[in-house]
Amino acid sequence: MGDVIVTYGISGLPHYDELIAQLEENSNVLAATPIVDGWGLLRMPYPESEAKQSETVQVWGIEPISFAKVTSYDSSLQWKTPTENQRDWLLLDVITENQELLRDEMQDDDWNELVEVANSASSALNYEDVGLWAAVQQIMSDEQWSRTLALDERLGNPDAILEQGLTLMQNGRDGIVSGLHVSEGNERQKDGTYEVVRHDYWWLPRFDGTLTMLPVDSEGGVIEPESVILPFVNEFQSGVFMIDESRIFVPIHTAQKLLHLDEAQIVDEDDPTEIVGVDPAKATSILIRGVAGISANELEIIVENIYDQFIAGMPFDTTVMPPSRSNPGLTIHTWEEQQRSFTGPVEKERELMRTLFSIVYLVVAALILSIFWSIVYEKTRDIGILRSIGASRGSIVWIFLQYSLVIGVLGSALGLLVGWLITKNINEIHDAMGNPPLGMAIAAFAIAGGITILTIAKSRGGQMLPIVLGILGFATFAGIGALALFIKSIGGLVIWDASVYYFSIIPNNVDWPSSIVTAFGAILFCLIGAVIPAAKAADTDPVKALRHE
Amino acid sequence: MSNLILEGIRLKKTYQLGRASVPVLRDASLQVHEGKWVTILGSSGSGKSTALHLLGGLDRPDKIDGGSVLFKGESIWEQTNRQINQYRNSDIGFVFQFYHLLPELTVLENTVLPAMIGGFGNATEKSRSRGTQLLEQFGLGHRLSHRPRELSGGERQRVAIARALINEPSVLLADEPTGNLDEATGNEILDVLSSLHVEGLTIVLVTHNLDIARRGDSVVHLRHGQIDHPANLAHSGGIAPIQAT
Repeated sequence: MGDVIVTYGISGLPHYDELIAQLEENSNVLAATPIVDGWGLLRMPYPESEAKQSETVQVWGIEPISFAKVTSYDSSLQWKTPTENQRDWLLLDVITENQELLRDEMQDDDWNELVEVANSASSALNYEDVGLWAAVQQIMSDEQWSRTLALDERLGNPDAILEQGLTLMQNGRDGIVSGLHVSEGNERQKDGTYEVVRHDYWWLPRFDGTLTMLPVDSEGGVIEPESVILPFVNEFQSGVFMIDESRIFVPIHTAQKLLHLDEAQIVDEDDPTEIVGVDPAKATSILIRGVAGISANELEIIVENIYDQFIAGMPFDTTVMPPSRSNPGLTIHTWEEQQRSFTGPVEKERELMRTLFSIVYLVVAALILSIFWSIVYEKTRDIGILRSIGASRGSIVWIFLQYSLVIGVLGSALGLLVGWLITKNINEIHDAMGNPPLGMAIAAFAIAGGITILTIAKSRGGQMLPIVLGILGFATFAGIGALALFIKSIGGLVIWDASVYYFSIIPNNVDWPSSIVTAFGAILFCLIGAVIPAAKAADTDPVKALRHE
Repeated sequence: MSNLILEGIRLKKTYQLGRASVPVLRDASLQVHEGKWVTILGSSGSGKSTALHLLGGLDRPDKIDGGSVLFKGESIWEQTNRQINQYRNSDIGFVFQFYHLLPELTVLENTVLPAMIGGFGNATEKSRSRGTQLLEQFGLGHRLSHRPRELSGGERQRVAIARALINEPSVLLADEPTGNLDEATGNEILDVLSSLHVEGLTIVLVTHNLDIARRGDSVVHLRHGQIDHPANLAHSGGIAPIQAT
């Protein structure tokens, strides 16, 4: 996303490469990358009938290399190497598309065998692994086999798919990298992984898509839509659901061409044959990433200054001037300002949580207070003893404060540890809750059974406590077991719905400053809860305390 | 005549029981000389324990006209809180009828507790060796790491005496130290006190038992919060005639 974003609406920022060069000269800027941003229609390969479905997509034209420096684009790519099954599909595609070629090269027997194998695979591959790779390799001669593999780079080189994603190129053609949720062929499993429907049939890198965008002329009017057919080279997952369901990446020059933001000649209005200048290529945004240790707000100021210098440094005779900072269409924002509509509600929720937890603090302080009150009552005689052998009031208070300090520190440390463990594993816990393993139900029922036997054995003595504890224990574990079975019977639960919460996985970053403030708050309120009973203890009259039974 | 070490002058103490004022001590005066064993004799409710609490700085005399307690000639209640704590901690040692040991601590820890409170934390080794020595002297050398609940009544009371002596106090105040023990055990405790007295320890002991009272150098007889025969105080050096109660 970048730390700071320079945006200039639909008409685009000319001479952006010059601005980027100036930005990257600054030691506080790690990298900057241009974006051409617009909306388009993407005609998908599905369904199989002629009437294909189209998706509305946000198209980002990018320069993949600099884009990867500013964002974590490279690690967001979904397909690193094809699975064996995906490879079989690719092989089948190659055979299907190059029938003429193969037929010429192969002997009739081999060819017929290949046709048979490919035909049976084309239906069987939809639901099971068929081992097409080995079967075809057996039919073909070594020479034929290596020539077949050469027909699609991805067959011979398992890393090709990742390389194609990183360069947005496939076999010399520009390509599309689309968000993982753009295609309806990708289904999220309950464990958070993805599977392609029909046993990888709808695996997007097998297909091409038609991208249509609406260019706008220099006066803001709409011109004829522009279309281009591009292969899908890879898919990406940013983790933000709203991005993954609508964004696609194409090479920046493709997007510029579709939006008429590429370099063009300016002709004389009266005489179209006379060229009067060049309208440079434009970018709608520039993403800038700062070096480690510089905040987005600091970087924003630096970028603003560089931008002013950039405008001032433009040659006097520039045909198309970039907008100055006073132009209302131009914005320089930090990513937080840009994403306000995303982060705003989350911030509100955090505020709400803080308020709620402040109330919890008070309740905890009251709880500590009442516990210490009864401890002081129970220890009254001992306090009297200590006072009678010369302990000061202050030292009595200090004893109880130490006591509560130990409780507070241990409790906070334990809470921090448990909280950290739960947060770090929240996605695994969520998956286990959504799809409880059968062993969990069995274990819970086994424990419930054990408790029942133990309770019956103990209940002979007629005492109430073992019976009550036994019934409660049985109910708890039998309940857990029944719930696990129930969830299993309805096919699992999805508690965290990615489309509701923007993110496809539950964010699990630990906010250490907040955690530490919370831990210290807990210790503080523990001390506050203890100091009142401690003061009461210290004021106890020794003689009365000694008489206390 | 030896030095006067502890003195109660016209002590008054009144307890509030709801609306009623119950006077427990009225104008009780007594003197304790260094190295002497003074017994305060009295029946239940005569105010003898209260008198001991006032002498030990555990309780205050009445605010108005309540008299004063002088230790080595200085009124303890005119001193700072810190000094009063120090008085309780190291100038006197208190032994109670019900031992009052801390159940969580071992015998040795209970014994050295006043030394720790007294701020001799840095001399822990020293106080531990003194505590061990005292406990060995009282025949408890094999019980150092036991808890009070594992001890018999007589043993507990010997621990309590060792605790009272850990800071080498000038006066030992004992409030019915045998009241909770059978006669034989009680006598053992009194023998311990006697031997300490022979070594020069000043003792003030409260009892309702005439036989026990005879062990002391002098007897103060309390009845209804007043000293029966103040004349006895004049010759506290000798054994006073015992007054029948």
